[in-house]
Amino acid sequence: MRQTFFGHGASRGSALGRARVRLPHALEVAEEHIAPEQVESELQRLHAAIDTVRAEMHALRERLHGALAHEVGEFLDLHALLLDDPELLQGLDKLIRSGRYAADYALRLQRDRIAAVFEAMDDAYFRSRVDDIDQVIGRIHAALHRHDGDMQGVAGEILVADNVAPAELAQLQAQGVMAIVTAAGSALSHSAILARSLHLPLVVGAAQALQKINDGDVLTVDGASGTIVVEPNADDLRAHRGRMREHARERKQLHRLRREPTRTLDGIDIKLYANAESRDDVAEAHALGTAGVGLYRTEFLFLQRSELPTEEEQFRAYRDVVLGMTGRSVTIRTLDLGADKADRTGLALRDEPNPALGLRGVRLSLARDGLLETQLRALLRASGYGPLRILVPMVSSREEIKRVRALLDRVAADLRREGHEIADQVPLGAMIEVPAAAIALPSFIGAIDFLSIGTNDLVQYLLAADRNNEALGELYTPLHPAVLRLIRDVIRLARARGKSVAVCGEMAGDPSFAPLLLALGLEEFSLHPATLLELRRAIRGLDLSTLRARAPALLRAGDRQGIEDWLRKAGAAS
Amino acid sequence: MIERELTVSNRLGLHARATAKLVQVLSAFRSTVTLTAKGREVNAKSIMGVMLLAAGQGTTVKLRVEGEDEAQAADAAIALFDRRFDEDS
Repeated sequence: MRQTFFGHGASRGSALGRARVRLPHALEVAEEHIAPEQVESELQRLHAAIDTVRAEMHALRERLHGALAHEVGEFLDLHALLLDDPELLQGLDKLIRSGRYAADYALRLQRDRIAAVFEAMDDAYFRSRVDDIDQVIGRIHAALHRHDGDMQGVAGEILVADNVAPAELAQLQAQGVMAIVTAAGSALSHSAILARSLHLPLVVGAAQALQKINDGDVLTVDGASGTIVVEPNADDLRAHRGRMREHARERKQLHRLRREPTRTLDGIDIKLYANAESRDDVAEAHALGTAGVGLYRTEFLFLQRSELPTEEEQFRAYRDVVLGMTGRSVTIRTLDLGADKADRTGLALRDEPNPALGLRGVRLSLARDGLLETQLRALLRASGYGPLRILVPMVSSREEIKRVRALLDRVAADLRREGHEIADQVPLGAMIEVPAAAIALPSFIGAIDFLSIGTNDLVQYLLAADRNNEALGELYTPLHPAVLRLIRDVIRLARARGKSVAVCGEMAGDPSFAPLLLALGLEEFSLHPATLLELRRAIRGLDLSTLRARAPALLRAGDRQGIEDWLRKAGAAS
Repeated sequence: MIERELTVSNRLGLHARATAKLVQVLSAFRSTVTLTAKGREVNAKSIMGVMLLAAGQGTTVKLRVEGEDEAQAADAAIALFDRRFDEDS
């Protein structure tokens, strides 16, 4: 019988397929005993499954990069430790050896024992860690069955589950899952962010769906509206096919935009640069027809290791980005790390009460002997292979720029004396992400060649709102009059002085903000390649002169509501 | 054998990241290390075990280390508690 359920659309896309229902703690295994002579082979079977899961997690880690790797990485680290946990492994060993339980049932028993303790805890945080244990035990269980070959994959199916872990998503997609529906979860979770970047339809918060949908039911899922239809009728199927055609058309249209210019309706060319931090990003950006790399992060060279990267290693990494862009501009940012990531580097940083306001970015680079010098040497050497610009993060005063400039000049002279081929001019830019830098910009704009506005930190510092603090809700937003005014002032001053200026924070990558940034005078965006074509499409539908004429009204808007109203009208008018 | 009373003073308590750090640090040593709190004794080299203590900020735990490298292992554990597990705040 046809039924409809609603959740929150967390990742767009439509799917039609059979449901694979995974009940919470889906370890519904019957009690099963083994003969004494089977003990060793059963233990081997269990450890082979654990090895499989370990290899899967390792493979997933290799595939993730960028911000995703940092976020999902923490889960993976925790899960990897659980997988090797002596208590868990000894408990299982004992159940199999002394209790003569089959591995499946031993897992079930062990899970229940641990869960009982966790579930009795008062603290919600600790109580919810049972999810991590469930996820790890669940994966071992699944791997056991794959060894038996009697577990069907999820190819062509729609997973209906209590929740999914970020670490599972990529694997489920690789196995061919069409869409995912979860009872719990939020559109802002790591899983949702990951699903969107994987283009995997996801509906969250559909509690009813988990209770009412049965294994094998045929479903249509619309990841945009969050609608799930069980046993769809002819009308539903037509609607689904309509949505699929619409998606296909959109994808084709987007794909065509690869070779089209980013030009407004009134014929102004806007430059779209890519944020990147890996070879894959650079290759993708190149294929999408970017103007170049607008922000190449170098932190990955320093993370997850105990010694600092050598000049040679850095030089090769930077040179390869320059070569990969085949003559288009490449902007490389110097190290942007602080105490919050100290434990994953060889920098031996001291713990800080507030790393966001501490020794990070250019402050750290200038505080450590040789750190910046090595990086600048590597960057300058790479400049011999194509157009390269150097961007300095977390600048808050002229003094910092002067010190970097002086070091850059000295390093350039050293390299030339040593016989290295380096560019005559390597532009030096500052990231504007500390409000003080934005306000004091007239005092040091003469000392720099270009600017990049990092909206993530600028918004956080300007509004005194920690962007990771969920309790703040909508207080952290670029749609605040103070943010818009400051961005406008920075762009205006840069343009008046003939310096290029880009926005490189997440704000630049959201096509819905494009009318606003264009109205404020922006003509250069740097964003993740994943949304580059969508932004190009949005810009091609906008009229720059109309937007600029409306800028005064935008700057008069006194609050978020007023700014949103302006955005709606601007979008509708084009 | 070395025994010491320690206080969990970091804001989040012995949560996942702090526990992971403790387990990673202790795994390098051969000594047996246990933590006792609220009447429960757990293997300090087990992330599951330590999380089972559900030790929030302010909890007192008893550290017991026994083995050939007990002095170094105890120092490493105590240092981590003292540094509040290098937590952000």
